[in-house]
Amino acid sequence: MAKGDMYLAQASDEAILKRGEYGGAVTALLKFALDSGVVDAVLGVKKRDGNNRYDAVLDLITDPKKVIDCTGSLHCVSLNIARNVKEYLDGAKRMRIAVPCKPCDARAIIEIAKRKQINLDNLLLVGLNCTGTLPPVVAKAMLIGEYEVDPKEVVMEDIEGRTLIISLADGTKIANDLLELETKGYGRRDNCRRCNVNIPTMADIACGKWGVKEGEKKTFTEVCSDKGAEFIDNAIKTGVIKVEQPGKDAIAERKRKDREAIELSSKCEAEDLKELRELSLDDRLAYWLHLFDRCIKCFSCRDACPICYCKKCFLEPDRGYVKGGEVPPDRMFHLTRLAHDGDSCVNCGQCQDACPAEIPLTRLYLMLNIKLSQMFDYVSGMNIEQKPPLIAAKDEEASIDDINHFN
Amino acid sequence: MSEEVKVEFEPRIIGFTCNWCTYAAADLAGTARMKYPPNIRLIRQMCSGRVDPLFVLKVFLRGADGVFIGGCHPGECHYMTGNLSARRRYSMMKKLLESVGIDPKRMRMEWISASEGIKFSDTIKEFTAQIKELGPGPFRHIETGGKEQK
Ligand SMILES: Cc1cc2nc3c(=O)[nH]c(=O)nc-3n(C[C@H](O)[C@H](O)[C@H](O)COP(=O)(O)OP(=O)(O)OC[C@H]3O[C@@H](n4cnc5c(N)ncnc54)[C@H](O)[C@@H]3O)c2cc1C
Ligand code: SF4
Ligand code: SF4
Ligand code: SF4
Ligand code: FES
Repeated sequence: MAKGDMYLAQASDEAILKRGEYGGAVTALLKFALDSGVVDAVLGVKKRDGNNRYDAVLDLITDPKKVIDCTGSLHCVSLNIARNVKEYLDGAKRMRIAVPCKPCDARAIIEIAKRKQINLDNLLLVGLNCTGTLPPVVAKAMLIGEYEVDPKEVVMEDIEGRTLIISLADGTKIANDLLELETKGYGRRDNCRRCNVNIPTMADIACGKWGVKEGEKKTFTEVCSDKGAEFIDNAIKTGVIKVEQPGKDAIAERKRKDREAIELSSKCEAEDLKELRELSLDDRLAYWLHLFDRCIKCFSCRDACPICYCKKCFLEPDRGYVKGGEVPPDRMFHLTRLAHDGDSCVNCGQCQDACPAEIPLTRLYLMLNIKLSQMFDYVSGMNIEQKPPLIAAKDEEASIDDINHFN
Repeated sequence: MSEEVKVEFEPRIIGFTCNWCTYAAADLAGTARMKYPPNIRLIRQMCSGRVDPLFVLKVFLRGADGVFIGGCHPGECHYMTGNLSARRRYSMMKKLLESVGIDPKRMRMEWISASEGIKFSDTIKEFTAQIKELGPGPFRHIETGGKEQK
């Protein structure tokens, strides 16, 4: 078993297979991680009170029997997995945890691990492919208004290319065009429209439905690290999952869907940022200052951002940049965060989700991050070995005189 | 109604200069009586690597029209890579300013060694002319108490 290997996997446990979104492999693997002592806990995502899929919660599970409570792909949530690991689980410094995670979650974890605030060695990242999540409140309004269903009846959401498919308890499926929904203000979270990392190859394994035949209960699984390879190897030997090799067509199909999703995201990105990009500098500044002045200085963006790394935050009054007791705050508030996080931003959208003033923060961060990413040849959260560009000056650069070398 | 008085715009530029090179070059330019515009106020740093991007932001937001950073040539930094980090931050800051709508041409960095008095005075002349052309910085009114200069 090695990095790059691919499988169509299925949980051997009947109950897990039945309840799993696809092949239940993710649940079976997480349970195995706990059973076999590879980790001390699993950080699962589950419906609140077992039935509320619009208010999902993170659950730190230590009892292997309870892993099954977390089956299913909840699309109407945006849990802040990375920040929770860093803040409330002590950066996994004293506990080994298996974490199912979408690409943005995995990237945020890796990016903050570079700053030694999460211990990546103690994590097993079980990646899930992703092409978008929906804000829960918007999702409920959409289900009532556009799908004409009671949100409580929904048992599954699924994004397939440009369509958002809802399944009800009685087996009915209703599909609507995602982009049309989004022009009406429904659909995915603003940042997800522009997200172009769909297969979490930066995790230890990447699991998804792409490459699985319609109606088949299987999970397409790619091994993405040596840690992942060893883990899957043991899982197969122990018999907790059954695997088969995917055919060439299945692999090609997965690749094609990934490519299409990336194309769609660049189309959305071009659309969403067009206006901002075309504004003159003066108008662009006026645009952002006007939005910044809506800020009520609740600090939610800072508290939500998985990248915000300062142990003693520069936005606090005693640091001398942003005066205390002023609303809206000094513009230093927003620009400080932008200067600190712009290069490492993973477009996870947590800041914008948290903002009560509805400032489209991810558009500003993404606009900067795209430029920095090109300039420094750096994509945040993809590779733990690659240092963030501002702290990555190499000795060789001492022989480059050009002051505009990067520009 | 009073007559409108046309005052030529005099840029206010803040220069963060490394103690070991550009600050000394400014000194040299001074003692050699080389002329350069009085628009720049220098703030001495122990290394260009000490120039936190937040300094640059704060200075702009408090009304500066331009920001200059001077450091030792690559390979000559007293702290080995301070200037290399400064170059990376400078490059980042230019993109940040542009993204939020502040003209990146208002910021400039140069390598100027202690012996390059002429390069210092030429650079400041050039940069001051550039800022004159760009006009008052976007936050100038905060300092002057009004927007009349725009
Ligand atoms: C929001 C979302 C979008 C997805 N979009 C695609 C896609 O476009 N293409 C594709 O190929 N696959 C996608 N997937 C993956 C796919 O839906 C399955 O999760 C995957 O195939 C594994 O199936 P399984 O039966 O093995 O998972 P299960 O055994 O059912 O386990 C599901 C796991 O997902 C975790 N989980 C559920 N919701 C979330 C969430 N919101 N955030 C983080 N973790 C969560 C649970 O903790 C659980 O461990 C998506 C998954 C999610 C959560
Ligand atoms: S940002 Fe990307 S990975 Fe994260 S939820 Fe949205 S689409 Fe999925
Ligand atoms: S700035 Fe916003 S989108 Fe970027 S990493 Fe932080 S929370 Fe996520
Ligand atoms: S979350 Fe929004 S309102 Fe709150 S501090 Fe951040 S920008 Fe301001
Ligand atoms: S000592 Fe002059 S730039 Fe570092």
